[in-house]
Amino acid sequence: MKTPRDLDVKIDEELQRQLLQAQTRRHFLQTCTSGLGALFLGAAAQKALSKDGGPPRLDFTRAPAQPLAALPPQFTAKARRVIYLHMAGAPSQLELFDHKPVLTQFDGKDCPASFMTGKRFAFITGIPKLMGTRFPFHQAGKSGAWISDRLPRLEKHIDDLCFIKSVHTDQFNHAPAQLLVQTGNARLGYPSLGSWVTYGLGTENQNLPGFIVLLSGGKTPDGGKQLWGSGFLPSVYQGVQCRSHGEPVLYLNNPPEISRPLRRRMLDAIDDINHQTHSNFGNPETISRIAQYEMAFRMQLDATDALDIRHEPAAMQALYGAKPGEASFANNCLVARRLAERDVRFIQLYHWGWDSHGDSEFYSLNVGFTDRCREIDQPIAALLADLKSRGMLDDTLVVWGGEFGRTSMRENRSGQQNPYAGRDHNPSAFTIWMAGGGVKGGMSYGETDDLGYEAVKDPVEIRDLHATMLYQLGFDHHKLNYPYQGLDQKLTGVKPARVVAQILA
Amino acid sequence: MVASGNSSNRLRLSAPVYCACVALVTTLGVGVAMLLRPALAYSIRSVVGLEKPPQAAPGSFYTVRVAPLFKEHCIGCHGKSRHKAELRLDSLTGAMRGGKHGAVILAGNLKGSELVTRLTLPPGNDKAMPPSGKPPMSADEVTVIKLWIAAGASGALPVAAIKGAPAPVPKIEFPEIDEASVARARAPLAPMVKQLQARFPGVLSYESRSSADVQINASLLGRSFGDKEFAALASVRERIVWADLSGTSISDASALTLAECKHLRTLRLANTGVTDPTAQALMSLSALKSLTVVGTSLTESHLATLRSKGVRVYDGHETSSNSNATS
Repeated sequence: MKTPRDLDVKIDEELQRQLLQAQTRRHFLQTCTSGLGALFLGAAAQKALSKDGGPPRLDFTRAPAQPLAALPPQFTAKARRVIYLHMAGAPSQLELFDHKPVLTQFDGKDCPASFMTGKRFAFITGIPKLMGTRFPFHQAGKSGAWISDRLPRLEKHIDDLCFIKSVHTDQFNHAPAQLLVQTGNARLGYPSLGSWVTYGLGTENQNLPGFIVLLSGGKTPDGGKQLWGSGFLPSVYQGVQCRSHGEPVLYLNNPPEISRPLRRRMLDAIDDINHQTHSNFGNPETISRIAQYEMAFRMQLDATDALDIRHEPAAMQALYGAKPGEASFANNCLVARRLAERDVRFIQLYHWGWDSHGDSEFYSLNVGFTDRCREIDQPIAALLADLKSRGMLDDTLVVWGGEFGRTSMRENRSGQQNPYAGRDHNPSAFTIWMAGGGVKGGMSYGETDDLGYEAVKDPVEIRDLHATMLYQLGFDHHKLNYPYQGLDQKLTGVKPARVVAQILA
Repeated sequence: MVASGNSSNRLRLSAPVYCACVALVTTLGVGVAMLLRPALAYSIRSVVGLEKPPQAAPGSFYTVRVAPLFKEHCIGCHGKSRHKAELRLDSLTGAMRGGKHGAVILAGNLKGSELVTRLTLPPGNDKAMPPSGKPPMSADEVTVIKLWIAAGASGALPVAAIKGAPAPVPKIEFPEIDEASVARARAPLAPMVKQLQARFPGVLSYESRSSADVQINASLLGRSFGDKEFAALASVRERIVWADLSGTSISDASALTLAECKHLRTLRLANTGVTDPTAQALMSLSALKSLTVVGTSLTESHLATLRSKGVRVYDGHETSSNSNATS
């Protein structure tokens, strides 16, 4: 009888034999020039690098079975973990934080032609009308920052928030814009922010994933699962999506007839086979797979507990407005705090439904937008208060934002004004806020023009945000590298990115 | 003979007249050159002592705020190695002297100062500075230069004399990690750290790759981590800067050991059995900045003392700025 091991060896030998047969003398001569050239260049480059020393590279290698082991940051970090609240669909900055009284004066006037030239819109055609904010603004807190009346509870924390009002992007459709915000690249195939951070720092709690994703709003964001994908990084660094109702991680619990010892024996057997496969083929992804099985086994105990908000006292659930069993942003915020407490490195929340075009009631500023605000207002306020009272806001970087902004014009489609008040996508300016994690509270950075249409003072690129976040986590963004396709790949790409030093405490 | 015949025909000048003519022509030449090349005029005036070269005093607004901006954005082309348009901005003298086309800074005159004009041109303009492709000056940086010129472009005016200047941007630097010196700093305790890392996997780590200080996160071990274990870790106590002991079974028995962690900045003791003797012991930690005691029975009087020493104490009660969050 053939054991699986024999079979593996046979396949291996067979492949080896075929490969050798394919190598004719001509073949060898053909490839050997470029091969030798490459060898020479490789050796020469190595020599050149070692001679002048070259900039030392940070070493991110870990024991193969411990791919998520924690590594110290490059420098002393201000933030130990991140909670990223992504408002998928892109909320209107003009209805929340970017106060533009001049725009209100021009409400209903034709949009100036200069606003339209050279711009691409998702829907707007013809000449749209300018539209002032739909909601009253006022100043709040000691900092006197402007805020609309839509987020009354968050307003109580306004002195903890740092608004960046001059963020801009070059993507005007949801999926690529979300990818740009979350992976630094509008195309598929790049590691997400959370993956980079988990790759760079690992995670201290080996019983939970280092990068957890929670969704609410009834729909996966347009960018899809690639938003928390690991791209070319080993797949062990991808985000693990947990559900906020029912079983948090599908199929994590043992079925009734399987006991934990039995599960252990099963995993040991799978482990054996995987180790054989690895020794035959040497694919590091096999080791990733072994590590993931092991983590799942440990998670069976810890994740179930961490993700279950029924363990929270009723008063705490009420503070967030969380209701066990619901799939809500409130539940996810409470879970986020529980995960942060357990040293999960990167906690990513997506709340969908902010695409206020005005084409339907759900996607309107008057109705849908207001509902979304109500859904996030209390939970975010509670999260900030909760983190703060536990002394965790100091080293937790909380980020809130969408993937682009919204136009200063009321959306029209083929000359017809949309039935509800709405705004089209505007990549030229939007507001993101950060709190905690060594970022200055009670400040605003950057400005848009008088109509809130374009970032004019201190514009901030997405890659600047990334560089800033990595800096707070203890990294020079140039140095958080992964070698791929002959390049030292990095989150911030090849264009110059700056750490926005002005917002750092 | 032809030559001598020619010379005899030429107008003969006496020596003094000749000298006077040469002097006149030279003066005219220099005058025209000075008119055409104001920078030269400036140099000549300063050589003959008509123009006093401006001095940049240490601590002046120029030295502290303006010169660094020139250094960051300008001197690549207008400095020691290259001086495009004959303009040098690597010294106050150079800046005031101007370039090929004259002064670029007119003290107290923003409209007339070419430098300001160039800095404020729209980015696409051919004459805009810094030129396209180079990182632009931020609005705040331009404001700093404008304020300085408006106030007289002096090298003596102290920083405090110019009001309303935007706060300087903190410089972000990424120094290379000097591995040798890090290794040296770590050496005395390195074997101990290694041994403890093996005994408590994932609990003890260096604060960063460039530091010899350590942090301990025992919260991951829960109740199985107690006074005995903490005593073992305390062999590196002088290097501990950050410690999370939340949820462990640590008690007041560790108070004295804690008090010996002289460099401890952040201490988390949430949900532990520590009581007032521990709080008492913490009073001696001068480096302590942040203390979390949520879910412990420390009394308010001790916590108040710690607060008065500048420690941020987190006891689970909401701080004043968020006291209304639940309402």
